[in-house]
Amino acid sequence: MTMSPFDHQRDEELGRLLREQLSGSRPEAFLERMRLAVAGSARPNGMEVLAGWARPRVMALAVAAGLLLWLGAWFTTSEFSSEPGVTVASLPSHKLVNPQPPAVDEIMAALLAGGGR
Amino acid sequence: MNRPGVRSRHTTYLSTAQRPQRLERALRTSDVDDAELAQAAARGDSDAFGGLIERHAMAARRAARAILRDEDDADDAVQEGMLAAWRAIERYDPNRPFRPWLMRIVVNAALDARRRGRVRHAEPIAETLESPGLGPDRLADATLLRAKLDAGLAALPERQRIALVLFDAEGWGHAEIAATLGVPEGTVRSYVFHARRAMRRALGTLAEGMK
Repeated sequence: MTMSPFDHQRDEELGRLLREQLSGSRPEAFLERMRLAVAGSARPNGMEVLAGWARPRVMALAVAAGLLLWLGAWFTTSEFSSEPGVTVASLPSHKLVNPQPPAVDEIMAALLAGGGR
Repeated sequence: MNRPGVRSRHTTYLSTAQRPQRLERALRTSDVDDAELAQAAARGDSDAFGGLIERHAMAARRAARAILRDEDDADDAVQEGMLAAWRAIERYDPNRPFRPWLMRIVVNAALDARRRGRVRHAEPIAETLESPGLGPDRLADATLLRAKLDAGLAALPERQRIALVLFDAEGWGHAEIAATLGVPEGTVRSYVFHARRAMRRALGTLAEGMK
């Protein structure tokens, strides 16, 4: 075998061995099988190709739109649901006028009372 | 301009003003290039695509077998690739060589089959190497050569194997192989270099005795 890794010419001997090794049996039957497979397979027309292309993308767009709507609705609901946090300011009025800062348990009690609404 | 894999178009048929819708089989053998057949196939001529199958299916089979190492799996992959090419033939650019376009589809089909784990089994494929008229000693050498050839191929990385088969068995140029594998030409040269070196190690001196 005249094989050299430095030779960029085709190695006829190795090529012959590879062809014999890889060609497989009954090449005519194989070619006939390929021809029949193609002949029995109709090529899709332009509209079918377009429909095949569009269908998954329309679905993806619908899913994305649905997700965006859901996220929008969720954020809107979150804004309203965060309102009870504002009740931190709704401490008893006598505490607001009191120069002393409220105790922690009083703040917690006010928070819990606000969250319960 | 000569493009790899595409012959010149100076034929009486191609210069005829009124071209028939379906190409005749006789014209399909040697004097019509791949691009012409592909264009006819794109117009719906399945016989024209059959002509392309006749020209390229065996090379595709060898490449698929080099990847999958099983005759049935390889034939399935080639069929899948051919059908995919037939369905996509309208997207083929006739200004580019056809062989790498088709082979890329077939190679991808084989690689997909391998990735999806649909491969039945990976048994040696050496039994197909013909050795008619050999005496017992030569037959034993031939059997050993087949086994070593198969083992050598199996040990090669996938892309090196494909490059080696397309270069040495099919006689493709580096540029066509690069287009098939989607890598630079220099990478293909490197693939062939390393694959040959590995095969030389695998085959040892056996091949000398086969001459």
